Amino acid sequence: MIDENMRQTIEGLIKKFPCRDSAVVPSLSYIQKVKGHISENDMEDLAIILQFPEARIFSAASFYSMLKLMPKARYHIQVCTNVSCSLVETETLFDHISGKLGIGEGEITPDGLFSLESVECLGSCGYAPAMMVNSEHYENLNFKKADEIIELIIKEFTGKYP
Amino acid sequence: MITLTINDKEVTLEKPVSVLEAARQAGIKIPTLCYHEALKPYGGCRLCVVEVERMPKLQTACTLMAADGMVVKTESEGISKVRRGILEFLLINHPLDCPYCDKAGECELQDLVNKYGPTVGRYKEEKRKVPESHKDQIFARNMERCVVCTRCVRMCNDQQGASAISIMGRGNHSRMEPFSSDSFNCEYCGNCLTVCPVGAILSRLYMHSFRPWQVDNEVETICSYCGVGCSLVVQVRDESIKRVIPRTGLGVNRGLLCSRGRFGYEYINSQDRLTTPLVRKNGKLEQSTWSEALHIVAERLSGIKRTDGGSAIAGIGSPRCSNEDNYVFQKFIRMACGSNNIDSISRTGYAAAQKYFEELLGQGITTNLIEGLKNSEVIFVVGGDPTAVNPILGLSIREASRRGAKIVVLGNAKGLDRFKTLQVVPPVFREMEVLEELLVGVSGVKGARGEKLDVDKGIRMLSDTYSGSMDIEGIEELKQTLLNSPSTSIVFGMDLVQRANGHRAVFAIAGLTYLLEARLYLLSDRPNEQGLIDAGCVPDMLPGGRPLDIHDFKRKFETEWGGPIPEEDGKTLFEIIEGARNKSVKALYIMGDNPVFNLPDAQYIKEALQALDFLVVQDLFLSETAQLADVVLPALGWTEKTGTYTNLERRIQLQKKAVNAGSGMEDWKIISEVSGKMGYKMAYSDAEDIMDEIAKVSPLYRDLTYREISKGNCLWPYHGEPLRGEIHELPAMVDAASDFRADFYLALEKPLFHSGTLSRRSPALMKICPEPTLKINGAAARKLGLHEGNRVQVTTAAGSSEVPVSIDDTIKDNKVLLSNNFEGQGLFSLLTYTLDPVTKAPGIEGCEVRLIKI
Ligand code: SF4
Ligand code: SF4
Ligand code: SF4
Ligand code: FES
Ligand code: FES
Repeated sequence: MIDENMRQTIEGLIKKFPCRDSAVVPSLSYIQKVKGHISENDMEDLAIILQFPEARIFSAASFYSMLKLMPKARYHIQVCTNVSCSLVETETLFDHISGKLGIGEGEITPDGLFSLESVECLGSCGYAPAMMVNSEHYENLNFKKADEIIELIIKEFTGKYP
Repeated sequence: MITLTINDKEVTLEKPVSVLEAARQAGIKIPTLCYHEALKPYGGCRLCVVEVERMPKLQTACTLMAADGMVVKTESEGISKVRRGILEFLLINHPLDCPYCDKAGECELQDLVNKYGPTVGRYKEEKRKVPESHKDQIFARNMERCVVCTRCVRMCNDQQGASAISIMGRGNHSRMEPFSSDSFNCEYCGNCLTVCPVGAILSRLYMHSFRPWQVDNEVETICSYCGVGCSLVVQVRDESIKRVIPRTGLGVNRGLLCSRGRFGYEYINSQDRLTTPLVRKNGKLEQSTWSEALHIVAERLSGIKRTDGGSAIAGIGSPRCSNEDNYVFQKFIRMACGSNNIDSISRTGYAAAQKYFEELLGQGITTNLIEGLKNSEVIFVVGGDPTAVNPILGLSIREASRRGAKIVVLGNAKGLDRFKTLQVVPPVFREMEVLEELLVGVSGVKGARGEKLDVDKGIRMLSDTYSGSMDIEGIEELKQTLLNSPSTSIVFGMDLVQRANGHRAVFAIAGLTYLLEARLYLLSDRPNEQGLIDAGCVPDMLPGGRPLDIHDFKRKFETEWGGPIPEEDGKTLFEIIEGARNKSVKALYIMGDNPVFNLPDAQYIKEALQALDFLVVQDLFLSETAQLADVVLPALGWTEKTGTYTNLERRIQLQKKAVNAGSGMEDWKIISEVSGKMGYKMAYSDAEDIMDEIAKVSPLYRDLTYREISKGNCLWPYHGEPLRGEIHELPAMVDAASDFRADFYLALEKPLFHSGTLSRRSPALMKICPEPTLKINGAAARKLGLHEGNRVQVTTAAGSSEVPVSIDDTIKDNKVLLSNNFEGQGLFSLLTYTLDPVTKAPGIEGCEVRLIKI
């Protein structure tokens, strides 16, 4: 549900663009910022506010990997599995992280700290392989670097590491 | 003029087109996958790549515009290699389950791989796995087969305007999906199905039941549902219709169809079809033989004619029957029975409005090409949702909107919600006054036009009595929009014709049409409402719109028909009903209609029919009306017989036979048999024979032949002059004090997925829309504590019915809508009517309604 307050903010966003269509992605990021993720219900409400077809809003929302359509863990890891990233030696980066965290595609660790997802090209082909943790971008990765990033997060979060 | 060279062949172009189209014009085929004639170029699949001299890389022929002096090569070793590569990539994810896939045999990917593709793929990993989705009742969605060409999405967006599906995800995860991801919840036009090049979207109606090459017979014909008359192709195997498909570019619909046309065909194979004549014996309808049934009909009608005179007999023709059927029927009623009491259900709307329009503005005033809508700059929509009544005509309005036209709507029109520029919602039932105010306003600026003096006079009278203005949001803007429009079309639905004093709305629209020099379109929800009038199935006109009261016309027909045409004025539909009640009409012959269900105040109509001495009904099914008959005669339906239909633009088209029916007879044939037995011989060998006669007697169809009609461009000529005496019944402003204070008013919903009572027998349409719902605005529903799907008791002065609620926020006033299609739950059984004095259409009354949650 998009409440009255949010609706007004979105109306404000619309005014910044020459046509309502252009406000789709900014509105979606705004919804995510407020609610953590974007539900089907939110998209229906947004369709009414923007007078724009639901299916096309869903299409945009599902295209951008920084938009979340499901509740995710505190740290959401997105690993690129597209061509460039798969070509470099660490083609199994996804599997490695999956093994380390003990979760598969789309799953969340029991402590709710991490969720994992493979994504299409993150636009870092020149610095492959790449992954994102929430909105942070990591490039030129290898197993070791990825491990370090994950361990750092755990450490920071729990304040202690085994 | 552009001249370019393609494969060493010089190609000259009349107008600028893409290299691909230029090549096609020259008969050179370039392979494509994402390109489709009906859609804008997309440039996604890259299969159409060609070499162009002085351009560094391969170019996509579908997006590259042909330019003067270009030198293009469409086939080479290099190009083939690229195409092979693209196809190999596509096959990485494609399941290659052709032996199991319904599309095999007409699949573009299959054909392309056959021609260009690699014989073996090199990809050894696992393919994408997505189970085929059968969550929708009509479509099966197989996303393993999808090649992401976006043809379906572009169709749904840019042509249909429903925007119900889109490509979700990206890269390897891309797939076509409707918003809710399982059921389509859309307009079910199936046009996405037409354009999908592979077996990714399939119709569940005929799934796995035949192969495209196993079709015995393919017949190009027209749709049987509404007044647009779309062309379609019926594919037959073993005497049963396998599927109905459109053909790109063909007919008024240019290869698009709506849900009724595409999925509504199954009624013809319904188990409920009548198989033998039925005759009432000891109060019960019993199976009989043709000879017995026809004998009884002829005997009884002759008897009544003898004792009570011809005027005690009446006939109701059908806007679902062909021109030939209706022509023979009116001739039978006039010549064999000796009565001019002949009319049809169309009196409730189209026939009533059309006649008054023609009286005011001349014959043919409603004749306008649907295609022309696209070029209008302002389209004024009044009295109904064109996208539901005449869906394909509705698409032209959407198209105009995309081209920048202003779409202005008076009242509610759900299907135009995202396309309208301006919507004016008058207080309930005051649309007519808004129209009159508009007319007065427009004439204040434009003055009299001086061509139709009666109309000018009527407008002046209206202006003189006009007092004050209605304070309604948007009305001034609406007026200005109309005044400033260089080319206006008015699309007029029948909702306002069916109000008390509906003729005032017709006059106001006629006045606006006249002053704005607008094109006028009447919505028509049956396939032959126009043809029926042209064929003379009206009490006061002979075929061709020839007024009965002009002696010379009558003489000509009498010579042709060999006998006198009765003198006495005929009764209109509701006068026939009255006549039955007061016993001045004793026998009624109904061809192909169901007045008990299709007219308001079912109980009243039923009583009238029960009061008759003799009732004959000719139909496909044992309808509510047929159940009351003394004799029921099984007729033939769509695809079982040949005949012509005249659509709302007055295009005469052939509906062709495609299958042999198990039982039943053509309507015209049954009637000519009865006629013969009554002593008036009609010796037609087939429908074409009848058309030859019509072409001789009707000035509108003069010299028409089936050969010419089948070419598809027969529109009857007109000169805009009334053929009848002009009329002088001009409207008076009714006191605007009549106030409507109830919380809710019941109004008719014209649904997209149903049509009359035929669609009830179409399983596919019943799956899409299985039951009637009461459409109500969301805010109003919340006040009553109603949620989607809650059942509610709907009570009017005339009756009560129980239906589930469906929230519809495109309803902007306190009307609640109910359809008139479902057995025992039709809207018309809840309402009563009074007759409009001018048009003789029913002004529907008693619309105050109480809603109680159950
Ligand atoms: S059936 Fe028609 S409305 Fe539905 S998704 Fe396909 S094209 Fe769109
Ligand atoms: S479903 Fe068919 S038309 Fe739609 S994108 Fe996939 S292959 Fe193309
Ligand atoms: S628009 Fe009318 S004629 Fe065309 S397919 Fe639909 S119901 Fe049939
Ligand atoms: S392929 Fe991984 S970032 Fe582009
Ligand atoms: S047909 Fe030209 S790119 Fe697909």
